[in-house]
Amino acid sequence: MSAERWKDDEALLESLRKGAPGAVDELLRLYQGKIFNLAMSILKNESDAEEAAQDVFMTVIRKTDTFQGNSAFYSWIYRICVNTCLMRLRGKRRNETVSIEEFMPVFTDEGMHASPMDDWSKEVERDALNEELGQMIRRFTEELSEKYRVVFVLSDVEGLSNEETAKILGLTVPAIKSRLHRARLYLREQLSRYLLEGKAG
Amino acid sequence: MLADYIDGSMDPRLREELDAHLAKCEPCMAFTKTFRTTCEGTRKLREAIAYAIPDEVSERLEAFVRTAALKYPEKMREYRDQVERDRREKVADLVSAATAGNLSSAAALLMESHCAACPECREYFDAVRTTGASRADDPPAGIRSHLIALMQALPPGEELFLA
Repeated sequence: MSAERWKDDEALLESLRKGAPGAVDELLRLYQGKIFNLAMSILKNESDAEEAAQDVFMTVIRKTDTFQGNSAFYSWIYRICVNTCLMRLRGKRRNETVSIEEFMPVFTDEGMHASPMDDWSKEVERDALNEELGQMIRRFTEELSEKYRVVFVLSDVEGLSNEETAKILGLTVPAIKSRLHRARLYLREQLSRYLLEGKAG
Repeated sequence: MLADYIDGSMDPRLREELDAHLAKCEPCMAFTKTFRTTCEGTRKLREAIAYAIPDEVSERLEAFVRTAALKYPEKMREYRDQVERDRREKVADLVSAATAGNLSSAAALLMESHCAACPECREYFDAVRTTGASRADDPPAGIRSHLIALMQALPPGEELFLA
């Protein structure tokens, strides 16, 4: 994470604690987009995500006094958000998700790829790195179970390191690596199907 | 293993072997390339992948958080005031029960042993008994803290007053 962000966070935390005017605005400016994205990616529902975001900011404001500072401020906020959303999700489990196993590469006994393998990397780099593909990727991740989705969002969308993601989710770094890797394999497979067959899996 | 290969953390010897295999094996090469493109594409498309917060959601959220943040210190103060009021009431009840002889046997015992050891409280209760109940409403701070400690010393499950 950049030094810039560290400094912003330090100053923000200090002004929140003092109840300085504008501190809450600054908190909102820096974090509402990130919190909404994270909440949406877990809850997949706009009004749930909105309520969760309200809860997250209230918790942050209430607890800045007792925040110990033994983790970074932003990772503390993310953790509050993850916990808030998972609690909500537990209340109403209704998500149907795909089985990630269906999207893992399959090998023959000789160790060869069992299904034909086309190289579409050039086409993507040339033409398709656009907003539409981004939205496609988001749609694919929505079909994943949240244990993979949360890791993917924190690492690949929010750009946190594996160590930071591990701390936020209370998991080990190898566990994060493995989930992230499977999520990426899944995405590769989904993109293949999408780009080669012109339809989503 | 593939993850280590892509992010460059793979053992160099193993990497060499894998490179040699990839050069010969078209499907594996295609797989690796498309996997890498997936990872890099994701990074480049981060903003498009993220859920953008809709303007109206953002406005509502900001309004909610700002008002709640303003009210929060006020709420805390109200809460503390309420706790303080409840406590005063309880102390006043205790004093009047003690002077009227309405304490439970457990509480009476505590009160007796405390007053035996604490001249301050003894004097206070003597004064209340002789001058009437009006002084029971608000004992001095020192006495108050003794009485609060006394109530807290009551074993759990024991009643303070006679039924």
